[in-house]
Amino acid sequence: MPELTYRDALNEALREEMERDENVFILGEDVGFYQGSYKVSRGLLSEFGAERVKDTPIAEEVIIGSAIGAAMGGLRPVAELMTVNFSLLAMDQIINHAAKIHYMFNGQIKVPLVIRTPQGSGKQLGAQHSQQFETYFVHCPGLIVIAPATPADAKGLLKTAIRDDNPIVFLENQNLYGMKGEVPGHDFTLPIGKATVFKEGQDVTLIAYSNSLYIAQQAASELNKKGISAEIIDLRTLQPLDMETILASVEKTHRVVIVSEAWKTGNIAAEIAMRIQEAGFDLLDAPIQRVTAKDVPMPYNKHLEQAALPHAADVVDTVMAMA
Amino acid sequence: MAEMTLLQAINTALHEEMARDEDVVVLGEDVGVNGGVFRATEGLYQKFGAERVMDTPLSESGIIGSAIGMAVYGLKPVPEIQFADFIYPAFDQIVSELAKMRYRSGGDFTSPVVVRTPYGGGIRGGHYHSQSPEAYFCHTPGLQVVIPSNPYDAKGLLKSAIRGEDPVIFMEPKKIYRAFKQDVPQEDYVIPIGPANVVRSGTDVSVFCYGSMVQVAEKAANKASEDGYQVEIVDLRTLYPLDIQTILNSVKKTGRAIVVYEAPKTCGYGAEIAATIAENAIEYLEAPIIRVAGLDTPFPYTLEYVYMPHPARVYRAIQDVLNF
Repeated sequence: MPELTYRDALNEALREEMERDENVFILGEDVGFYQGSYKVSRGLLSEFGAERVKDTPIAEEVIIGSAIGAAMGGLRPVAELMTVNFSLLAMDQIINHAAKIHYMFNGQIKVPLVIRTPQGSGKQLGAQHSQQFETYFVHCPGLIVIAPATPADAKGLLKTAIRDDNPIVFLENQNLYGMKGEVPGHDFTLPIGKATVFKEGQDVTLIAYSNSLYIAQQAASELNKKGISAEIIDLRTLQPLDMETILASVEKTHRVVIVSEAWKTGNIAAEIAMRIQEAGFDLLDAPIQRVTAKDVPMPYNKHLEQAALPHAADVVDTVMAMA
Repeated sequence: MAEMTLLQAINTALHEEMARDEDVVVLGEDVGVNGGVFRATEGLYQKFGAERVMDTPLSESGIIGSAIGMAVYGLKPVPEIQFADFIYPAFDQIVSELAKMRYRSGGDFTSPVVVRTPYGGGIRGGHYHSQSPEAYFCHTPGLQVVIPSNPYDAKGLLKSAIRGEDPVIFMEPKKIYRAFKQDVPQEDYVIPIGPANVVRSGTDVSVFCYGSMVQVAEKAANKASEDGYQVEIVDLRTLYPLDIQTILNSVKKTGRAIVVYEAPKTCGYGAEIAATIAENAIEYLEAPIIRVAGLDTPFPYTLEYVYMPHPARVYRAIQDVLNF
């Protein structure tokens, strides 16, 4: 199997889907001539031309609004928002329009739109460029939310997302673009809504997604040294949540820690914790714990930023305190 | 004392705060000459003039952005977003600017903006006039989120919000704007932001709710009391910061918890409340926490009363936690 970076896996997914279906097109700031701020759309303008790879003005509301119109008209737009932080400017289009149109027209109209956007923190980009908004989108009925952590998942899920008839927020992680991994070749797809057991274990379940998967992975190897076997679940899709995979793990371990790099209050971790308790109140041997970012705008100062973010040591401490 | 509706209490608080402090200004769509689409700002334009009561274009981002500028400059703006459903065009201003001003300026500047906005269903407003977006703001550090459930609280909480130094999202349950009247003192009083209010004391089940859901919980509690069960109702009043102590005290007493909210269930604020209870008081729980919430669909026009939590659904949840 070829090794690809997360970035190139996404690029391959876009290229393959554009070759497969001429209705697929890309739009966004600097996606064409500049080949994407993070180079995810590298080579696509020269290959598919300006009609299908459209550079837009710096106007997120217009990018998403146009994409919704194109989707309603039968195309399959893949809109890039340069970072998730700028999705705030398109929130009305996303929440009030993309998410609701299928319902508003009683199913007569579909919005097969994929919004690709990276998020992430920990690189001293300051309060306005270090936000993570998965909870906003998961709270909005009508949207599917995907957050892949590996190159293979990035490719397989993006291809499925483009073929899906629903509006999808596809959250990439800017800190993972350079990460390498094995990626299956042509036409590899993964189903939306399926989590994966990233590592099997017996004593505690660590639930993670996107970059927090690697926090959990590091914590698991630290825990292993202490004789604790942690199971890691990579959610991959945040909406809909794969409760079957989560509950199967909880039935085995009876202890849960959810790891997320988003703010604590109202974090999707609360939703996951509640779903586990609603479905398996008697399964738990200890209260479910949430290890998340702190409830502050992200500090620019390096040390404060690190203090605001969750780390493997926090997960380890949390697990040890659950005994 | 005067008998007033929640809407009149809001209007009274605005009149009193504008008279008390000339830095308080109101802005928004139709808030001036027209007195607000719900009449919350009635009489302010006539009394305080166009300099302090500003009709704005239909531009929510502009309304909030201007208000932030005014606040940083030293005024105390109270912008109105006509319906909470229209607040999304202002998201960037609220999340990336308003909520962060104090932090980003190292405390040099604050942005004491009170964003008033009517929210919620039950008025046959359809999906663009019925939403409850409080969870977005509770998940945004730097904002305080306040939701009154009755006229007395509305006046006292709004006055507190206007006098504070930090931004507040003040959400008004429009379903009960005129639903009932209550004695409201004519003299000045404030209700602090933060503390929840135990509006009904009980020993068997705790129901946590806010806004128009307090009335719904009351009706369910009345029915449960006919069965001999005493339901405690905690009106949160402030969602962020959350009064965790009052919530836990109640759960420790009753051992059973229900959270009622009308926003979509998934990642609604009730999930946070419930998870907080489970994290801190699981050993006191006799039954799983139940959430009675809106459905995970866009707000329906025709099926509004299926979507909204109603007393029968809360009553059923009370039975479920009692019979677990």
